[in-house]
Amino acid sequence: MAVLVADNLHKTFRAQGKTVRAVEGVSLRVERGEVLAFLGPNGAGKTTTIKMVAGLIHPDRGRVQVAGRDPHRDPWALRQLGAVLEGNRNVYWRLTPLENLEYFGVLKGLAAAEARRRGERLLERFDLSGKRSALTQQLSRGMQQKLAIAVSLIHEPALLLLDEPTLGLDVEAAETVKALIRELAAEGQAIVLTTHHLEVAQQLSHRVAIIREGRIVAEDLTDRLLARFSGDQYEIEVAGELDVARRTRLAALGAEALDGRIVFVGDAEGLWHVLEALKPLPILRVEKDRADLTKVFLKLIREDVRA
Amino acid sequence: MLRVVAVEFKRSLLMLRRYPMEMVGQLIVITLIFYGLFLGARYIAGPAAQFGERLDALVVGYVLWTLALFAIGDLSWGLMNEAREGTLEQVFLSPFGPARVYMARNVAGLLLMLGLNLSILGLIMLLTGVRLDFSWAALAPLATVLLGAYGLGFLLGALALYFKRIQAFLNLFQFVLMFLIMTPFEQLHGPVRTAGFLLPMTPGAGQLRALLARGEAFDPDLFALALVSGIVYLAIGLWVFGRAVRIVKQRGLIGGY
Ligand SMILES: Nc1ncnc2c1ncn2[C@@H]1O[C@H](COP(=O)(O)OP(=O)(O)OP(=O)(O)O)[C@@H](O)[C@H]1O
Ligand SMILES: [Mg+2]
Repeated sequence: MAVLVADNLHKTFRAQGKTVRAVEGVSLRVERGEVLAFLGPNGAGKTTTIKMVAGLIHPDRGRVQVAGRDPHRDPWALRQLGAVLEGNRNVYWRLTPLENLEYFGVLKGLAAAEARRRGERLLERFDLSGKRSALTQQLSRGMQQKLAIAVSLIHEPALLLLDEPTLGLDVEAAETVKALIRELAAEGQAIVLTTHHLEVAQQLSHRVAIIREGRIVAEDLTDRLLARFSGDQYEIEVAGELDVARRTRLAALGAEALDGRIVFVGDAEGLWHVLEALKPLPILRVEKDRADLTKVFLKLIREDVRA
Repeated sequence: MLRVVAVEFKRSLLMLRRYPMEMVGQLIVITLIFYGLFLGARYIAGPAAQFGERLDALVVGYVLWTLALFAIGDLSWGLMNEAREGTLEQVFLSPFGPARVYMARNVAGLLLMLGLNLSILGLIMLLTGVRLDFSWAALAPLATVLLGAYGLGFLLGALALYFKRIQAFLNLFQFVLMFLIMTPFEQLHGPVRTAGFLLPMTPGAGQLRALLARGEAFDPDLFALALVSGIVYLAIGLWVFGRAVRIVKQRGLIGGY
């Protein structure tokens, strides 16, 4: 069963005489154990979508189900949802990490003792035990963000929403938070992650959805999306010299030898012919050129979707 | 729900402890006021002197005044601070929903304030050897006044949720509260009395005055009216707060935009 089903969400804001169509027909699905990277430029509608999923903004149209329940109709749907929201503190600075965990745990429906027990475990896990009785205010930004993630997990929700969890963190803190998300993902936590750090998205996500001006312009498995945008280009490295006869044969197949590397543009079957032609030279490396998410993203965002 | 009240109580206590200067300041102010009252400085009770000249009346009046002030403003101040600091949305993510969480917060805050006031009072009674002759009947109208005050608190909370900055308005509200608690509608007649009693907190405050200041007997009819008034105003406050929650969710304004 899908942990998140969002169907055809629409949201238009009216403020100061202006109308902003923030989200127009967004649908998302996240399965158990899946990480969805939800990407898009500034103002594309990511936060609005996340908040509609979390029950914090009512959609004008469309439907949300978290673990089978609609947070807009049934508040106990929130029992299966944890969220770290963009640019917010998310936790009380005047409480210690453990006190925050206990407080929000009870707010999510746990008994205080249970919340404390789980809180201790999470602090241990997130390497915050040393700071359990310091005021949250005094922690570094990276630790505060880790605590916010811990708090959002205290009730073991089926779905975790992370809206730009690395925003405003320095390189080291961002790395720590990234490592943490990677660990959670590896454990099978379903996550919707928005981020402008596309290499983070590429490393962590199973699937990618790209939103632009309120509409999804691409949605696919991360690997498939990358493959789709990767040219059919291979690089082959062999040991030893290529003689003239080989070079001519390779050229006939459409492959080109450039200082020790052979570059071939063609399909997978063509590749076998090239490898045949190279026989019996020892092969050091065969690699398919892969697009990275940044290239894909920029390409999709620049295309005029409405055209 | 009890759990939520308990954890809110703990949170309030912890937060209070984290502002030690403020806490100490508050304790000193309360102590001085009670001490002044015991020494016979009636003017210290301020608006609460309305409830009679006797020491017990002054004390009850003063406690009522501070609790009502707290009940009316605390929710709104909390909402504004949390919207600014970015914890409000996390509270809204609770399956209990904001109305119940803030109700629990109110109850916890009341218990805390009451506890603080009563312990200081007890201490002073112990030190001065003065005994107060509380009439327990006064607690009933006092409770109805607080119900009404929390109703107003939720009304103002709705405004705070929507407008985010209502500090000036909140300060102004002290005078509204003064008017509601101090005007002796129970001694007026005809339509003015009726209209006055339709306002929040007035029947309960009137009954307190009758009991404490004028030494009248407990009037069950007036109490019934006070109770209904308190419950109705609390219900109105909760209803309007619920509407405000719906509206801010519609417009995406919870954390402030
Ligand atoms: N409450 C609101 N009232 C009016 N307009 C809003 C509101 N919330 C968002 N918007 C507008 O809706 C659009 C989408 O905003 P949203 O915050 O969802 O974008 P985003 O993809 O999260 O951007 P970013 O990457 O900058 O966080 C923007 O044009 C924004 O100005
Ligand atoms: Mg955003």
